[in-house]
Parts: sequence; C-alpha cells; structure tokens
Amino acid sequence: MNLTQRDWLFTVTGGLLVCLVLLPLVAMLFDLLRLGLPVLGWEFLLTAPSNAGRSGGIAPLLISTGWILLVCLSVAVPVGLGCAVFLNEWLLPESRLSRGIGLSLDVLSGVPSIIFGLFGYQVFAITLGLGFSILSGGLALACMVLPFIVRTSQQSLAAVPAGYRQAAQALSLSQTGMLWRVVLPTASPGIAAGVVLATGRALGETAVLIFTAGYVLRQPDSVLDSGRALAVHIYDLATNVTGGTSHGAATALVLLALILIATTSVRSGAGLWSRYMLEEKR
Amino acid sequence: MSTVPRFFPVMLVVLFLSGCGKPQHDTLVLTGSSTVAPLISDLAADFEALNPGVRVDVQSGGSSRGLADVRQGTAALGMISRELRSEESGLQAHVIARDGISLLVHARNPVTELSDEQVRRLFRGEIANWQEVTDFDARVSIVHKGEGRATLDVFLAYFALHNRDVKADLIVGENQQGIRSVAGNPGAIGYVSIGSANYEIAQGVPVKGLAIAGVAPDATAIAQGDYPLSRNLNLVTQGELGGLAADFVAYARSPQAHERIQQHFFTPVVNP
Repeated sequence: MNLTQRDWLFTVTGGLLVCLVLLPLVAMLFDLLRLGLPVLGWEFLLTAPSNAGRSGGIAPLLISTGWILLVCLSVAVPVGLGCAVFLNEWLLPESRLSRGIGLSLDVLSGVPSIIFGLFGYQVFAITLGLGFSILSGGLALACMVLPFIVRTSQQSLAAVPAGYRQAAQALSLSQTGMLWRVVLPTASPGIAAGVVLATGRALGETAVLIFTAGYVLRQPDSVLDSGRALAVHIYDLATNVTGGTSHGAATALVLLALILIATTSVRSGAGLWSRYMLEEKR
Repeated sequence: MSTVPRFFPVMLVVLFLSGCGKPQHDTLVLTGSSTVAPLISDLAADFEALNPGVRVDVQSGGSSRGLADVRQGTAALGMISRELRSEESGLQAHVIARDGISLLVHARNPVTELSDEQVRRLFRGEIANWQEVTDFDARVSIVHKGEGRATLDVFLAYFALHNRDVKADLIVGENQQGIRSVAGNPGAIGYVSIGSANYEIAQGVPVKGLAIAGVAPDATAIAQGDYPLSRNLNLVTQGELGGLAADFVAYARSPQAHERIQQHFFTPVVNP
C-alpha cells in the first residue's frame, strides 16, 4: 500500500464517519420539517396556544423561555465564572480544597436532571416559597448548568499562556488588573463555549422545569408567575396530547433556531469583548 | 465606594423582590397526572374566560405528585388518572371523565367479542392463528403498548397479565400508532384509548372495537360505568370542597365541559 492509497483510504473513511455522525441530525431535521413546516409561520410565533397546543401558536412560551434562560444565565454565569477564577487564580491547583471542589463539580455534572428538578421544587418552590415560578425554574436550571460553566471556564483560564501572566507581573499589574485586562479577555472564547453549552442544555431541559417553572400556558406577568418553556411544551405535545405532533414539531424547529441564535450571539459577543479589551484599549 | 453602604446590593435585591409583589388575583393551583393535565389546562382557560379576575394554574408531573401537593397544601386540587387507593385516606376524589380502553382488531376480522381468558391466551402467544377463535384464517399479531403508558397499566391490571409474559409482535407508543398498526395487518389485535379509536373509525380507518365481558366499547357504556376496561380521571381534594376549588370542580363536571373532554378523547361522566 503506497502513501497516496493510504491517504485516499483515510479520506474516504473519515468522510463516511462524518456522514454517519450527521445522519441522525439530518434525519431528525427532515422529520421535523416534514411535520412542522406546514404549521410554522409568523402567526405561529405571535399567537397564544389554544386547545392544549394543538392549534394556535407559542408566543407566551417564547417569553417564558426567554425569562427562564435570562434568570438561569444571570445567576449561573457570574457565580460559575467567579468559582472558576477562584479555583484557577487563587488556589494552588493540587491543593486539597481545589481537588475537593473539582470533585464535587464533576459529581454535580453527572447528576440526572430530574434530581435538580426535585431539588429545585423542594428548595426554591416550597422552602423559599417561590412557588411554581420562572424564578424557581431559572434557579434550578442555574444549579444544573453551573458545573459546565465552571469546568469549561477553569480549563480556558488554565490554558492562558504562562508568559502572559509573567509579562503582566513584570509590569507590576495587580492581580485584579491582570485578570481583567489579560487573563479573562484571552480566555473569553473558551468561557463563551461553556456558556453556549449551558445555554443549549438550559433551553433543551424538560425534567427540571416541569417541577419548577411549571406547565402554565399563560404569558407570565412577573418572574414569580409560572410559565411553560418550549421544551416542556414539545414534550407534552409529543406524549400527552393526541393530535399534537405537527405543532410539537414546529415548536421544536423554533427551539432549534433559538439555540442557533443564542449560541452564535454568545460566541460573537465574547469575541467582540475580547478584541475590545486586548486591542483597542492598549 | 465609601459613600455607598456595604449592604447596598442586598437592598437592591430586596427592592427587586418586593417589586415582584403577590398577584392580586384569586389563584387556584392544580397539580398531578400528565394524562389529565392537558384537558384541565384547556378547561382552566375556559374557566378563566368565564370568571374574570380568577387565575387557574395547572401543573403537570404525575398522579403521585398531585396527591403529595394536595396533602402539603401546595395545590388546592390534585389530578389523578386512577382511583384513590384505600391507604390514601382523608382525600376525596371527584370524577370528571373516564378514559376507556378498547381491544382493537382489523375490520375484516369477523370476531366481535373475546372472553377474558381468550385475551390472556392471545397476548401470551398461546393462540397462533385466529382460526382457533373464529372463522378467520390469519396469523395473530400482537400490538402491545410500550413501558410507561397508562393504557398499558390499565390493560395489564384488568386482564391480570404480567408484562414479561406478553409475546408482543410490535410495541407501540401513541394510540394513533397502535391504530395504524392494527389497520395495516388483518391478523393484528391491539388496545387503545376508546376516544381516539372511535375518532379514527369515524375517519374510515378499517378497525373495530371488541366487546369485553359482553359490553361493547361505546360512549354510553363508558359514561354509565358499565364498560369494565376503563379508568376514572379524578380531581382530588383534602377535606371539604369549598371556594374557588368547588366552583372549578363543578365546572369540570358540568355539561359545559363535555365538548373539551371529548376533544381530548375522553368520555364525559353522566352525573346521576
């Protein structure tokens, strides 16, 4: 077997494997489009659901989902980033505390989401008296996505070249100054990847939200109202509502589009911020 | 920084939370069975439209959760898709609808009724051809429901079958899927929720329901409680029914709710 033959073999195998990976995605998209496209339209996005979701649209659910995500990220990102900075910048990497926190985070990221649902229900809804509300749901989701944000942020902080820190120290920058001007901007694409991961998980989550944010189809007036997220709606239409398949598929298409928009905007936002901090304000 | 008190962030949070405020509406909370939740959710929307200023929040999560929430007082009403058990004392159940399950065969199959024992033997795989039961030469094909389906539980309980003894040729999920599977195979037998079966039969799908214990699966028989293979969908309260909860239960049991109940392929209960 000569070199070109081997190259050719690798190319073909690699291509086939990529196709194999993409096949489920394409098949799923095809199915969703076939079922959901006839329903999809501006009216679907702008009207309230009726008849348990078998007719009408998803307008209140878009608002509920947005609020839940907002609560979740505005709690999980600062706390997670802070924890990552503490782990990476203030603790020695092999200290007992650092390893202990790391281990608990890894355990936390392996906990099934239904546990976070029951925990959130018991703690936020019952004990703290927040009830079935967007606030309970967002906080429970924040607990669930926290380990992802901490772990990815910590890795990208650790990947900042040591030379950058040494240069900053040579210029006698304070710890905070170095963090704000050098380390965080350099690590921001990796941190953004963690936030993207968390956003995707949060938008696709049902088990946590059924028990916390709830099932109410009405448009929420405040974060203390219950509101149904898109993923919960899809789950309900697929399992409990006879004749809900096409509206469920259309909702799934909207959710996919939302995830796409959310992830690209987080990524480009982080890119812009990092460029602004590192280049323009030299 | 010194001019700002250190507890300023705490003040902000308190301010934010107090701004949220308690809703000024009368709110009724229901939790429970995911089978019943879509129906009650629709009824709640109708009820809100009839009673301005009233809010009915419907939460899903399963019958057991409905019971737990009613006991805790988190919810005024629980939704359960079964009867109260004897150990669940201190609670009251109010039937709002029935969900009947029909044995389904292909329209070409001449059989009209099966005994309980015949059904058991069919589903255990002990009858290979319909000729053993009736004048029809076709291989028996068992269409069974997947794990976790409420219809599966009711079916197994009524016929005293163990799920592991059932020799299924095809496992289906939704009722619709079960109906299509039976319609596509003259030798098939399955079981689905009666409301969706009758809906599909009316659409011209070649299937038919079988009588059980001599009772045919029609709406009247279910409504009167004569048809044996059915379950009640209940609203559960702790103690005496009163206030908004009483109004809602009365509405859900009134003829005004019948159209909604039928839209969800359940059978309204005829109150004596």
